[in-house]
Amino acid sequence: MAMANIDYDFLMKFLALGDSGVGKTSFLYQYTDGQFHSQFISTVGIDFREKRLIYTYRGRNHRIHLQLWDTAGQERFRSLTTAFYRDAMGFLLIFDLTNEKSFLEISNWLEQLRMHAYSEDPDVVLCGNKCDLEAVRAVSHEQVRALSDRYSLPYIETSACTGFNIRQAVEMLVERVMLRMENVATNSELSRLMTQTRCMPNINLPSSGGNTVRLGYRDMELTEEQQRSRNCKC
Amino acid sequence: MALNPQYEDIGKGFVQQYYATFDDPNLRANVANFYSATESFMSFEGVQLQGAPKIMEKLSSLSFQKISRVITAVDSQPMFDGGVLINVLGRLKCDEDPPHAFSQVFVLRPLGGTFFCAHDIFRLNIHDTA
Repeated sequence: MAMANIDYDFLMKFLALGDSGVGKTSFLYQYTDGQFHSQFISTVGIDFREKRLIYTYRGRNHRIHLQLWDTAGQERFRSLTTAFYRDAMGFLLIFDLTNEKSFLEISNWLEQLRMHAYSEDPDVVLCGNKCDLEAVRAVSHEQVRALSDRYSLPYIETSACTGFNIRQAVEMLVERVMLRMENVATNSELSRLMTQTRCMPNINLPSSGGNTVRLGYRDMELTEEQQRSRNCKC
Repeated sequence: MALNPQYEDIGKGFVQQYYATFDDPNLRANVANFYSATESFMSFEGVQLQGAPKIMEKLSSLSFQKISRVITAVDSQPMFDGGVLINVLGRLKCDEDPPHAFSQVFVLRPLGGTFFCAHDIFRLNIHDTA
């Protein structure tokens, strides 16, 4: 087996969802600093990019290989393959703050998620994108709060254009999935997914190079330099 | 009615004309002229529609600006009512998205020396497993 290729502790697959035009591709592009190795799988119509992270928790470093899946425009035709939802461990549910319709569609996307995802209650971070366009904002804070309360979704406003909160949004989702994994004994479905994907690097991973990013969720207030020294084992 | 021996040319000609109209944003509204107001059926990604107004409502709700296609194959057969059955295999590209394969089936029904599109079934060729 190709097990020797796995030099990470967890493979996490996240899916960016939302109406066409809300900025999903730009969001993922911004997150990967425009340096992604985009790989398009034409049979399922899925585009994905990858990034390495170090997640620090209770003094231990976990190497995370993050796969970010993009719908590659198939949502324009209202035809999302279920392959999309099935293997994803977390969802970035994105709407456009300047487009009310994209916000109203969020309930429908959640419905789809509940139907097709590995769990009826998967980890989701709701992102209001294009927050740099305050002058043409069409969705009020109250509207969003009512929705995020109703579905108990964490909410963050982002701008794929300026990069504002993009990294924070992804990190919120990483953290939620990691927290869920701690209770993995009580969550057999996620456990099955994690085991399956760790044994199945079914897609050729590009060599990761030097673009690993260090994260420390309990150390959010520290600078990257300080994080590095704290994470250092020596 | 008899089989139409020109089915091959009719099929190829229709497909060429249909996509030339559809893919030009200035002409897209004219796609309505290919359908009957009441006797045309469309299945668009499993959504069933009847009549030109409903069909146009669906088509104009699609969110891309630019669309371009590469047609791989057009297969046609004559039908016993004088109509033509057409299957199209191709790839399309919307705006800056990656290209998706698609297939589309048309049935042209004769109507006083010309044809209208009586059936239209469209699907992207994407699957649930890789």
